[in-house]
Amino acid sequence: MKRADPRVKLLWVLLCTTGALVFFRPMWMLGLTLFSLGGTLLFGVTLQALGRRLRGFLPLALVILALHILFVRAGNPLVIIRGYPVLYSGGVMRGATTLLRFFVILCSAAVMARENTRRVLTALTKLGISYLFSFMLMIALRFIPSFSTSFSDALIALQLRGVELKKIPFGQKIRLYKDLVLPVVADAVVKSKELAIVMEARGFGALPTRTSYLDVRMTFADWVLTCILFSLGLLSFGFYYLFG
Amino acid sequence: MPAISLSNLVFCYAKGDFVLSCPSLDFPHGELRLIMGANGSGKTTLSKLMCGILKPLQGDVRIFGKPSSALSLGQIGSDVGYLFQNPARQLFAGTVWREMVFVDELLGRDLEASAQRAQDLLERFGLGVLKERSIYNLSGGEKQRLALCTLLMGGAQFLILDEPTVGLDRRNREILYTIIDDLLEEGRGLAVITHEKELISRYSNARKIKVERGQVLV
Repeated sequence: MKRADPRVKLLWVLLCTTGALVFFRPMWMLGLTLFSLGGTLLFGVTLQALGRRLRGFLPLALVILALHILFVRAGNPLVIIRGYPVLYSGGVMRGATTLLRFFVILCSAAVMARENTRRVLTALTKLGISYLFSFMLMIALRFIPSFSTSFSDALIALQLRGVELKKIPFGQKIRLYKDLVLPVVADAVVKSKELAIVMEARGFGALPTRTSYLDVRMTFADWVLTCILFSLGLLSFGFYYLFG
Repeated sequence: MPAISLSNLVFCYAKGDFVLSCPSLDFPHGELRLIMGANGSGKTTLSKLMCGILKPLQGDVRIFGKPSSALSLGQIGSDVGYLFQNPARQLFAGTVWREMVFVDELLGRDLEASAQRAQDLLERFGLGVLKERSIYNLSGGEKQRLALCTLLMGGAQFLILDEPTVGLDRRNREILYTIIDDLLEEGRGLAVITHEKELISRYSNARKIKVERGQVLV
């Protein structure tokens, strides 16, 4: 399955990410997470590579989890301090579901990041999507690792100025992350502007069509996999809407 | 006791495509060491091992006598400063002044003393008039000097500068050399990664460490 056609992988990503957006029940999210993890491994991403990717996003994921746990006030109170409920079952469930959703999206990103960009572009063009749009999409995806590297560099630089992150109180840490994210986003915007200039200077979009030497073809195994994924998608989403 | 001491290091990236090995090597206080080598030879990897950003597979890194594996990056940062090749990556606050007092504000230190120190450093590094300027509107040389100031604000006694002359014009290079001279005069230790002939010839008395295809040659 490692050499599966990019269109099959895109279908799998579509199913996973749609499920991540649609499913709200924790057990469904858990099922989707296992499905995503299985697919990620079958598509050739190693556990180590996935772990590295997860580690980079761990601080952000933990902040999201904490925000849900602290601010979602639904379900039964689990922890009550001086008569004031601070932790609700709904908050914990919502936090856990969001964390799983995050994981599913990371798995999808890991699979697509492993795929050759030109193969994906050719596959998208064969699906009838305009080359311009496909190219923009691929460039946007390429910004994710760059974004993560910039953020982890900022964290390292901050610590090397004598800041021990573990000793900073939680509330302050969130404000700190907000301060760190701003220059990282600004950096990404600057990079994208520079990229646009470079691409235009190289004549990108000067002609309406583009010839590609590379071709991607669906094999019999790819068609079988597509049928399985389609059926699985239809069944699960249908079942979720009817009985979930 | 040397500021940084490396002994028989072996490091390999997770992908396994690059291995760096380094025999025993000391970086003393108050001295300058030049780390030289071609692009991709492992200079930056060595410098990241020296300040604990990367952890070795084998061997030992000691920072002011303590093993780096037992220290957090925050603890290391109090003694060792690292100037990134792209200093913009280590600036976060909106203005030059906020950048200087960012960490002290965050850690709730004495702001009056911090402001005085920040003012002194900015004046010394020629950034006094730029206090209110946004960090996004600084030139490359100014960003670099500001990043150096922030490292000194943290009290770093040993500084690692990763290719500090890249992208600097002659005037800014001269300013940098003056800063290096001043830091050495103050007794701080420095490790400068470079392949710039001008810098190497200017500090021809400094001990040179060569890195070639992942091998550190002392």
